[in-house]
Amino acid sequence: MTALARTAPVTRRRFSWARLAAYAILIALTVVYLAPMAMLVITSFKTLPEFTRDAISMPKSFSIDNFIEAWNKANFARYLVNTVLYTAVSTAIFVITGTFLSIAIARRFVRGSGFLFTMFLIALFLPPALIPQFQLILRLGLYNNPIGYVMLFLVNPIGIVILVNYIRTIPTELDEAAAIEGCSYFRFVIQIVIPLIKPAIATVAVLHAIGVWNELILATIYLTKADYYPITRGLIVFNGIYGNNWPVLAAAVLMIAVPIAAFFVLMQRYIIGGVTAGAVKG
Amino acid sequence: MRYLFGNGAARLAPYLLITPGLLLYLLFALGPSLATVVFSFTDASGLPRLPIHWIGFDNYKEFLTLGAAARENLDALVRTLIFCVSVTVIQFSIGLFVAVLLNQGLRGTKFFRTLFFFPVILGVTIQGLMWTLFLYPIGGPLATVLDWFGLQSEFLGGQPREAFIWVMVVQIWANMGITMVIFLAGLQTIPDEVYEAARIDGAGRGQLFRRITWPLLTPSVNTNLVLTIIGSLQAWQLFYVLISYRPGTQVLGYVVYATAFGQTSGSTAGTTFRQGYGAAAGVVLFLIVLAIGITTQYLLRRREARLLG
Amino acid sequence: MRKLIVAVALIVAACGGGATSAPATPAASVPAGETAAPVATPALSGTVRVLIHQNPPFVAFMDAFNKTFETNHPGVKVEMEVVNANDLMAKTQSRLTAQDIDVIDIFAFDRGVQPFMKNVDAPGWQSLIDAGLLLDITDQAFVKNYDAASVADAGSYNGKVYAVNLGRVGYSGLYYNKDLFAANNVAVPTTWNELVAACATFKAANIGCITAGGKDGWPIFVGAYGLLGSYFPDQLGLVQGLWDGSIKYTDAKWLELLGKYKVYDGEMIEAGASGIAGDAAPGRFASGEVAMQAGGTWYAAAIDTLSPSFKWGYIPFPGSDNAADNQFMFGKYDQGWAIANDSPNKDAALAYLSEFSDPANYQAFVDAVGPIPTQPDAKLNTTLGAEIAPYLATFKIGFENYWLGPKGVGQYATPMFVNLFKPFGTFDDPAAAAAQAQADLQSGLDAAQ
Repeated sequence: MTALARTAPVTRRRFSWARLAAYAILIALTVVYLAPMAMLVITSFKTLPEFTRDAISMPKSFSIDNFIEAWNKANFARYLVNTVLYTAVSTAIFVITGTFLSIAIARRFVRGSGFLFTMFLIALFLPPALIPQFQLILRLGLYNNPIGYVMLFLVNPIGIVILVNYIRTIPTELDEAAAIEGCSYFRFVIQIVIPLIKPAIATVAVLHAIGVWNELILATIYLTKADYYPITRGLIVFNGIYGNNWPVLAAAVLMIAVPIAAFFVLMQRYIIGGVTAGAVKG
Repeated sequence: MRYLFGNGAARLAPYLLITPGLLLYLLFALGPSLATVVFSFTDASGLPRLPIHWIGFDNYKEFLTLGAAARENLDALVRTLIFCVSVTVIQFSIGLFVAVLLNQGLRGTKFFRTLFFFPVILGVTIQGLMWTLFLYPIGGPLATVLDWFGLQSEFLGGQPREAFIWVMVVQIWANMGITMVIFLAGLQTIPDEVYEAARIDGAGRGQLFRRITWPLLTPSVNTNLVLTIIGSLQAWQLFYVLISYRPGTQVLGYVVYATAFGQTSGSTAGTTFRQGYGAAAGVVLFLIVLAIGITTQYLLRRREARLLG
Repeated sequence: MRKLIVAVALIVAACGGGATSAPATPAASVPAGETAAPVATPALSGTVRVLIHQNPPFVAFMDAFNKTFETNHPGVKVEMEVVNANDLMAKTQSRLTAQDIDVIDIFAFDRGVQPFMKNVDAPGWQSLIDAGLLLDITDQAFVKNYDAASVADAGSYNGKVYAVNLGRVGYSGLYYNKDLFAANNVAVPTTWNELVAACATFKAANIGCITAGGKDGWPIFVGAYGLLGSYFPDQLGLVQGLWDGSIKYTDAKWLELLGKYKVYDGEMIEAGASGIAGDAAPGRFASGEVAMQAGGTWYAAAIDTLSPSFKWGYIPFPGSDNAADNQFMFGKYDQGWAIANDSPNKDAALAYLSEFSDPANYQAFVDAVGPIPTQPDAKLNTTLGAEIAPYLATFKIGFENYWLGPKGVGQYATPMFVNLFKPFGTFDDPAAAAAQAQADLQSGLDAAQ
């Protein structure tokens, strides 16, 4: 964490142009990152005539009318809950099935492991097969159905690849030791391997969750009942109806962004830690 | 690897455990993708009960060679590549740069790290809407800044090239956090002693980075490259939110979706349902992504072996 | 008494299995003027799923209509989905295929394949019909409520009726702010030169000249349909001419027209218009910040709702230097209703349409949304009605209804569908735009030989 910093002698705090430049750049970047959010906040407290007259003025009064209106016009709490559910369920199922799959493939316990792994590598690049997937979900009777929607997210080739690569770094002596101890395969997997690959699982879980959380098009295609919408779809629909009313729209976006922000700040150690844990070892 | 966990029935244990995962993969990924390939050789419309005929490579011929439309498809292809390369290079560089900056233990590192990663969590729709507001052409923040310089722009609604660039900007803004965070973690795996030793030998800052940091960062570099390249090749939802289907701005992923679902905007081409044709576009996209992906993997693997032995 | 009827209806619905086989037009027997249908009809039940496109006055009207319908038919629930007009076809396709929809809002059956066209893709609605996804409603009583021309032109295919059309819209006009015009001493323009002068005056006074909801893409170029109309009054002829080569974009007439497009894009449309959402344009216009709005008659209802005391007028876009050329209104058949052939609740769906088509309900629709009516007895009693009355007799169906390009044409093959000139497009020079347009069109025409 402090490796590069020790170029200056530690004994005296020397003013360093490099440090100043670093701070300047970081602050400039902060502006770039905060500005859109600030604009969102300002807009959400204005009235529409205020906004039409001057888009960047400070709001005259900090009334929460827009928030109330947005809240009444669409069921954002529902959207949030939906998104959380979709993400949690699909990530859980994927992580479990994917882990078992990866262990077997990485150690070649299954015939054709090499072939399977190649298939997953190729699957990384596949564009979503929209129409056949659609026909499949239809035939299963799961159109416009939360269960059907979740099923779209139970496969994630990147996750498999990351897991397999990580598992391969675990020495095989471990397997031998476990077998000697009389472990069954199940116990080996669950009590020995999984604890060891927790970082990779974390990464895969977070990446997958972000993917599900972010999905807009599949939600558009498969979910037509407003009660099932995740946030992405809910906000776009709201935009379609209220896109002409930026203050209300901004309020809606804020209402969704704030809980997400809160969650993130609380859990950032795990989220960021998760992303990096298994990604750095490669 | 020799299976050590029993014989006979016990040998089946792994197969049992992989069955759900494999089944899901076959059913939801491989199956539909194969079906797409098959459809690409037909004139399927995506609607039920209409007759389907095998037409061989006609869809491909039309997509790649028929008239000015084919040229536009090729433009979309090129645009996809431009998007991928630009986004990857810029996002990679900025992410690395910021990670190096933050790795010095400056004050407020945690704040910066959280802030820069934050857009990733917000998701495509919120990112898109935030920027649409920020780029509001009638007196919006950026419009006002430009006005100070006597410039005016329609941003996302204006020239296709400009709109395209703005989408790139938002894409980079939104995802730089992941790149940065992965590099940060990678930087932190490099032990101080290595730097100390090199510094004692008289290495300057530039040399430190080139000879020590950069090679030791290889795993993070690889991860980031793969994530960014593949991500940017397949990411078009931001286009959907920011500028919808405008001629001169599409990337191939969006073209595939739009042709399959008849969502070509407003009045331009009318809506037609051509699933077979859309499938052919999808296969073309897949082949491109595959080629790029495999090449990248190969080059990275080779470099990693060379650098880290 | 009400409760008893409701209870009986519920019992009948539950025990009778809901769907009845009685002819599904109970509302047709209701005398005109009475909007509440009596409950003593075959009890309907289940859900009616409706898909409509986004248009705020229309959505508001439908919300009210749905409530009334549910009150009149206590066993029925109406589920309505609203999507952006750009997404309507994609949504229609997926929901019809999924058999998850009953009543769909569908735009007129336009762009049919003309005899002089070769190598074209069938329009979306035709594919829907060929796939058997739309219900044949030729024999439904409520179809007769609509005038025969609209049924034939906008809802029929191969002699059968699949949709009823709810109205025509004009799209070649300009809304203008009467007060702003008076305050700045500008006369209502009747020729192109007068329009240019008017814009110059407004710009000098720091007032935006023309606004449009550019964010949705189409509102800017649709605003120029009046320009096109003043040069080519026979728009079917224009389509045919382009197809057989007798009209080329590089002709002098087109060059002149494109020159005017350039002025329209670059100098008349207000800067920043591309940031205004389609539905926000009436608001911008009604706020008094701009002198005019380029758009179709469908915005009138929104303008009146936003600002009931706002004084505005609607004139044909004066594209020609000769006032006599500028007196036609061009438009198209706009939205209509169709029923899914696979609908699980056809009776309720048919009753839904039937009730909508009841002259009293239809008049309410016209009052709320403001289309040019397609029912002979309905009247457009609004400001819009008065403004466009002089042009109704010579109303012309516009280009959009007819144009279908051969496969392989480039995006500029129909320059009237694209924002060509800066700042919304890439071109600066009409000749260059014309050359590109003709080349794009030619590539498809050549391939069709």
